[in-house]
Amino acid sequence: MPTGVPGLVKHTRKATYEGFLRKVKMEKSEFISLVCRLASINAVSGSESPAAEFCAAELRKYTDDVYIKAGNVIANIGERKPDKLHLLLDAHIDRVGMIVCAVDGGFAKVSQVGGLDRRILPAQRVIIHGRNGDVCGTVCTLPPHLAKEKKVMEPDELWVDTGLADAADRITQGDPVSFDSPCEEILGGRICGAGLDDRAGAAVMIAVAEKLSQESELPCSVTVMLSTQEEVTCRGARVGAYHIDPDIALEVDVSFALCGGEKPEKCGKLGGGAMIGISPTLDRALSDRLMGIAQELSLPYQTEVMHGTTGTNADYFTISRSGVRTAYAAIPLRYMHTPAEIVDISDLMNITELAAAFAGRCGTDE
Amino acid sequence: MNNALLDSLLEELCRINGTSGREEKVREYIISKIADKCEYEVTPLGCLIVRYKGRRTPSKKLIISAHMDEVGLIATYINEDGTIALDCVGGVSADAVIGRTVVTESGLTAAVGSKAVHNLSDEEKKTPASFDKLYADIGAADREDALRYIRSGDVLYFRDGYTVTADGGIISKAIDDRAGCAVMLALILENALEYDTTFTFVTQEEVGLRGARTAAYITEPDFAIVLEATTAADIPLSEGAARCCELGKGAVVSFMDRSTIYDRELFEMSRRIAEENGIKWQTKTVVAGGNDSGAINISGDGVRTTAISVPCRYLHTPSCLARLEDFHDCAELARLMADTLSAQ
Repeated sequence: MPTGVPGLVKHTRKATYEGFLRKVKMEKSEFISLVCRLASINAVSGSESPAAEFCAAELRKYTDDVYIKAGNVIANIGERKPDKLHLLLDAHIDRVGMIVCAVDGGFAKVSQVGGLDRRILPAQRVIIHGRNGDVCGTVCTLPPHLAKEKKVMEPDELWVDTGLADAADRITQGDPVSFDSPCEEILGGRICGAGLDDRAGAAVMIAVAEKLSQESELPCSVTVMLSTQEEVTCRGARVGAYHIDPDIALEVDVSFALCGGEKPEKCGKLGGGAMIGISPTLDRALSDRLMGIAQELSLPYQTEVMHGTTGTNADYFTISRSGVRTAYAAIPLRYMHTPAEIVDISDLMNITELAAAFAGRCGTDE
Repeated sequence: MNNALLDSLLEELCRINGTSGREEKVREYIISKIADKCEYEVTPLGCLIVRYKGRRTPSKKLIISAHMDEVGLIATYINEDGTIALDCVGGVSADAVIGRTVVTESGLTAAVGSKAVHNLSDEEKKTPASFDKLYADIGAADREDALRYIRSGDVLYFRDGYTVTADGGIISKAIDDRAGCAVMLALILENALEYDTTFTFVTQEEVGLRGARTAAYITEPDFAIVLEATTAADIPLSEGAARCCELGKGAVVSFMDRSTIYDRELFEMSRRIAEENGIKWQTKTVVAGGNDSGAINISGDGVRTTAISVPCRYLHTPSCLARLEDFHDCAELARLMADTLSAQ
């Protein structure tokens, strides 16, 4: 392992954060409630304000220095000093959805925002967020006996039916459209609904902020960023990272949990703990540090090995300004980008501990 | 007819879960409403036959029929990983359940899952969902855990969530055919018919018109009015005759579908009654679909049958869309048709 580079892990046990994490611990039920409330906010890429306002209010419980810049929620914890490393913790608050391109009678022609699985769209219930209020709708689908061939609809065949004789006074071009599928707790401490990608990560960040706010002697200064437009090539993270100018970054997004149809080698296990990213574009020493911390704290973890970029905001942190050493820990999630995503609260709690401990370690091992 | 009563009955009926073969909750609800008004019997297949007493007795026997069952899903196997293999009950397309939640008999939320879009091959992205690759996920840790909450043979329902739009659209599961049940119930509760009439609330329409076949045998009618919901395709993806019928254009009276060539005289009678009474009506522009008429019109020596349907988009999905005004037109036309037939 190379040495002499600031921030490289040495796997030496240090006592600086012993007991650090267990001082304040969000109760499981409280955490589930936070995730459900946050994920159920209908805010599609480019229209994240309702989610941003919610998150800013939550973060203000733990630090006074919270603001929204270019849509990103930015919360600073600890005084930034030249001799201290500055850590960026990030998750994204946008959700995939659709956007109104034209209105024709009671129908809205829509385009997809982010990567949608068009197999799932027929007759999905959605909400169009009109300027004067929400309008419910259903994604149009031809009845089977009229469809000439059974096929997945093309991008130019996406229409939403409001059921209204005329919707022109209620909806207009540019209105965002979200899946109508609020999150709820299901069996075994699992949560199901739309938007858990990546509001689950945003909830983790709020919980991490709570933990860090209790710590009087953080070895680094920290910015928690909850960023916009990840689903449309990470645009919020790009400007956010430039603004924050961190030394180190940790991204918490979601990744694939094993389920029917998926390959085990491409997936983590739901309930198996953080999927710690290893990739040529991530800082290997920081990946090792995350694994070392997980081992020390007896937190379950798994690795997600990628051969290039990660497909997350981490890809843009690494190349922000002069380059930022970046680590990545993912929450395992099933049925990504559908209105029926599933996460396991135990993974969120474990990643909260891991990320907070990571912050507690930044700057102490150099 | 009392539209407020019709509307409240429709909402209550749509919210009840009852797939084919499991109509008991719908039947119990209807019995609770009519038990102190009418004689009734429950047949071996679970059909509810209600004998309504009017002020007069007709020379020929009329039944009015609607089906209580809705389409849904059935658990065929509990997989090792705790997920549940599924098949459809009635004509449900896998498209209409993939990537959303459904509800188990025990009331648990289940995600209908599949591989994430990111991991699909180009070929898979273009291939519509099919039940052999879908499964329901209740969050169980494994098979043993899942078996505490669900067994093979349990049914799963579409989510309820009855929505009325600002101008009288209704979005719900099971409008097919709780709309017909609601009209029948309202006719009974309002004593709206002059003549004695038999109402058959039947089972298992969605799996082959099975309840209606037996109810027609038991009731031996001369005439039948079938109340239904039928496919409307008045959406931007279809044009001209392919639209089949349209929302807001009134009650649908069919001349022919895949199950029945309707009695021409009754078809003309419906048209005349509608026009004379200012009731909006339309017919279908496609010979498609089918309903209990197919079983009833060939029962016994044969039964002269007509069908009056509510036009409904996205039939057999969790998001059926119909309009209250069309539903009211159907109720009014059914009332007038019934007494006209009985007076013959």
